[in-house]
Amino acid sequence: MSLFAVSLRRFSIIFYLGMTLAGLGVLLTAALFFMAVRELPQVPEPLGRIIETPPTEIFAATGERLMIIGGREVVPLNRISPFFIKAMIATEDHRFWEHHGLDKLRTLKALWITLFERGRIQGASTITQQLAKNLFFSYRRTYMRKFRELLIALQIETQYSKREILEAYLNQIPFGVGAYGIEQAARSFFGKPALELNLAESALLAGLPKSPTRYNPYRYFERAKKRQQLVLARMKAVGYSTVVEAEAAFQAELQLAAHSDGTPKGSYFLDLVLNDLEERYGPEVVYHGGLKVSTTLDPQQQAWAIESLQNGLKKLDQLMGIADGDETGGARPLTHPQGALVAVECNSGAVKALVGGRDYSETEFNRAVESNRLPGSGFKPFLYYAAFEKLGLTPANVFVDKPITIPVTGASDWTPQNFGREYEGPMILKQALMKSVNAIAAQLVERVGPDAVIDVARRSGINSSLKPVYSLALGTSGVSPLEMASAFATYATGGVRHEPFWILRVEDPLGRVLEEQIVRGQRSLDAGIGYQVVDMMRGVLTTGTGRIIRRTGFDLPAAGKTGTSDDFRDAWFTGFTPTLSVSVWVGYDRGLRMRDANGVGITGGRGAAPIWADFMIKATDGEPHREFSVPSDIHFETVDPVSGEIAGHWTQNPVQVALRSGEVAAAAPDKSATEEADRPAVQAPDKPAVEEGQKPTIKKADESAIKEEDLPPE
Amino acid sequence: MTEWAEPRDFSEWAKRVFALRPILMIIMVSSIFILELRFDWMERILGSYLMTTNLERPESGSIWEKSRQTRTAQQTLEQILTDRQTLQREARSAATFTQIAENVAPGKGVMLSADHFRKLYLRLAPSMVPDIISPFELLGLFSTGHWRRTYFEKSGAGLMIYLLDANNRVLRQLELGSVLLSQLKRGEVALAESLDQLPVFKNRIYPAGQFFNSLESFPEEVRRSMVPHPETLLEVSGQIVRVGISDETLSGFIELGFEFFDGTQHRVVLVPGHEWAVWRLRSRLEGMDMDHAAGETDDPKKHWTRQ
Repeated sequence: MSLFAVSLRRFSIIFYLGMTLAGLGVLLTAALFFMAVRELPQVPEPLGRIIETPPTEIFAATGERLMIIGGREVVPLNRISPFFIKAMIATEDHRFWEHHGLDKLRTLKALWITLFERGRIQGASTITQQLAKNLFFSYRRTYMRKFRELLIALQIETQYSKREILEAYLNQIPFGVGAYGIEQAARSFFGKPALELNLAESALLAGLPKSPTRYNPYRYFERAKKRQQLVLARMKAVGYSTVVEAEAAFQAELQLAAHSDGTPKGSYFLDLVLNDLEERYGPEVVYHGGLKVSTTLDPQQQAWAIESLQNGLKKLDQLMGIADGDETGGARPLTHPQGALVAVECNSGAVKALVGGRDYSETEFNRAVESNRLPGSGFKPFLYYAAFEKLGLTPANVFVDKPITIPVTGASDWTPQNFGREYEGPMILKQALMKSVNAIAAQLVERVGPDAVIDVARRSGINSSLKPVYSLALGTSGVSPLEMASAFATYATGGVRHEPFWILRVEDPLGRVLEEQIVRGQRSLDAGIGYQVVDMMRGVLTTGTGRIIRRTGFDLPAAGKTGTSDDFRDAWFTGFTPTLSVSVWVGYDRGLRMRDANGVGITGGRGAAPIWADFMIKATDGEPHREFSVPSDIHFETVDPVSGEIAGHWTQNPVQVALRSGEVAAAAPDKSATEEADRPAVQAPDKPAVEEGQKPTIKKADESAIKEEDLPPE
Repeated sequence: MTEWAEPRDFSEWAKRVFALRPILMIIMVSSIFILELRFDWMERILGSYLMTTNLERPESGSIWEKSRQTRTAQQTLEQILTDRQTLQREARSAATFTQIAENVAPGKGVMLSADHFRKLYLRLAPSMVPDIISPFELLGLFSTGHWRRTYFEKSGAGLMIYLLDANNRVLRQLELGSVLLSQLKRGEVALAESLDQLPVFKNRIYPAGQFFNSLESFPEEVRRSMVPHPETLLEVSGQIVRVGISDETLSGFIELGFEFFDGTQHRVVLVPGHEWAVWRLRSRLEGMDMDHAAGETDDPKKHWTRQ
């Protein structure tokens, strides 16, 4: 056999083998086709059905829209900037107008690259295929899914016009920051409708769908610019823009709409609202029902709350000698202290601002609501109220600040200590609260009992589980900042309790009311006793542990209480004006101790009170000077802070106390007859604070006796 | 069938290759390929085929899932709204507070206008009014112009009523306890322990025996006008010891006060009677039967009624 004949024979074999294989391939494809067709989803008619789900919208109290969930803001093609349409086509599928759902050349090229260039996978999905994937398929990558996707794309191409396909596609692609569809994206990123996008903006947006998180211009602007450049290059390549236009667009300054980090404002608050809505209506209604939800949030106060908390925490970082977190924020939640701030309107319970952490994009754990932390001395107002109510004590009664041990049945004795481990001897109760004296608080809880304190805390608005132990009075049961703000508001309103709320009204998509909040209050505390506690807490701001507040320039009538848990793991300040009650907490999520660079612990006065003051100065700017309303049964006396006797000209640092009808401060005794007293007893309201002939023991009694740890930095 | 034989030389091979059949085949295959590239006919055929099977295929995939969820959500919302609207409609058609209390389900309230509340309030027996809210206080609320709506809510077996301003803030909170509601339901008003405590009955209080003797002397239809719903009195425990006749009329009715004693305490139940009939009854009780003495006065009602 000749060489030619051999070659010819081989060629023939290869030819017929190839033909057989091709035939088999066709048969296999046909089999695959019929297999795939069986489970192929139905394509809706019309394609516009994709926008049937009405969006759920959440609004602030001012009417500003805070969030839109689901749904799409659909715009026809003629309401979309031609720049954007061209940018999208150039980037995603430049032969869109020519093919029929499958770009064969591009597919062959992609196949070649994927098969023969190691480590590279080339995509070749057309816009129609992408639409098919988005409408029907999961993101799981399988060959069968890709094949089905292709088949659906072919049907869509046959069934609908190119304009319909493009319109559907542009109205549903995700751009990140919760924006789906070009209209939402244009409004979210540039604060303008899609029709008004210029070339630069269009190119930036057209680059986002590839990876909305990776190219988020708020967080990774440089990356987004590079992607924009690539889009402009594609536009140039396919003849949609000139070199000059592309260069000008790349150089143009982009005016991104005001977003701090590309996440919606008040996200901790929105989480709270969404959780609540889900509980009431179920997730299906919330995410697919098109609810219109009006909330209590004041966007301006919310912005100030975020600003105050973040600035305050930055200062705290500096104070503690902690370096700034890395840009990605990876380790910050663990290495940096966190914080929370809640502002509640006193006479309604409406939550006006709520921040649950220093940065929502870093951690979505809502410390304002979900985190129960020890309030420390912040719990004492409930104790003092209980003592006044149950024991008939008054702010002018004298107790002795001294080391104390309280026997506990079935457990070891309880020996609470003052912060500075120093004791000042006798002082009136108002002074004891202002200075946050633990030894006197312990004596009070021993007498009144923890159950009475729990009862008062419950009536005030604390709902968390509270352990009926003596140490409860010193704040050893965890509470949330929302609870604290709400409970203190009860004192601001003269004892009328308002449940905190954040949803004002819920409507269906047609505007029919599903529910609306009734702002109701219930008297839960006695107005007179409540005022006495308020008056004592006012002293905390003037000369007590929270006096930094006044040094910051905040001068409206206000009351509050600092709180610091054991070993400086939590620092609190909760305070209120007659209109607004605000609680601030700072601390580590992991419960680490907070100390400054010199090893001195961070107290409520140093860590939380400055944040509170910063926020309140802004939130109450322009508000008139409004005093707390004084109940008719209250009268004022000026007394000696040590003996509780009515002050005379000889009294040093007299203190004004609020007394109810029938309560009187002790008359001043004959000064020459005072003797040292071992233990001044708890005084009945109508008895002198210190028995005549007795002189209170004063181990260390001057104004500077406020413990250093409990003081803000000078 | 001719058996295939291997070409022996190039010319034979060329002859075979350039024969009509292979050339046609090559042209056909190439045409198919080129036409597919140019006109996408394969895609179009497949697309058209798939269109014909579209309706037989399942409604599956994320868009259909979303659609189902949307439908479910809409149905849920419709249900909530229908319940709410039914409740509102029933409340609006209610003629009394007790009817509202019966319609309001626990945990669900109804909202009515301030005017609607006023209408219900005006239907209360005058002696009952202060127990709910003083008319002067109500006037005060109206005069401020803040009171817009009223919210009714179940509270145990009773009813809580919130008078609200435009921002849904509670201006005034009223409570209709279960006892009060059951009294209202029976059409009675038990206000006091004794008739002597109610000034409207002063000088018009009669022993029960005397009252019922006089009552029985009238025909049944007249008695029905004097005490339109005597069965409500039967529901009250205790014995009727005295009966008073009010000196006030309201919309053609005069209240009769029945003082009950159940062995431990007295209480008064008020029942409205038609003015003309009660007036006749009183005349008989006072010994001036109108059937005989109608001409003795120009308008006998003037002597003891106050409009």
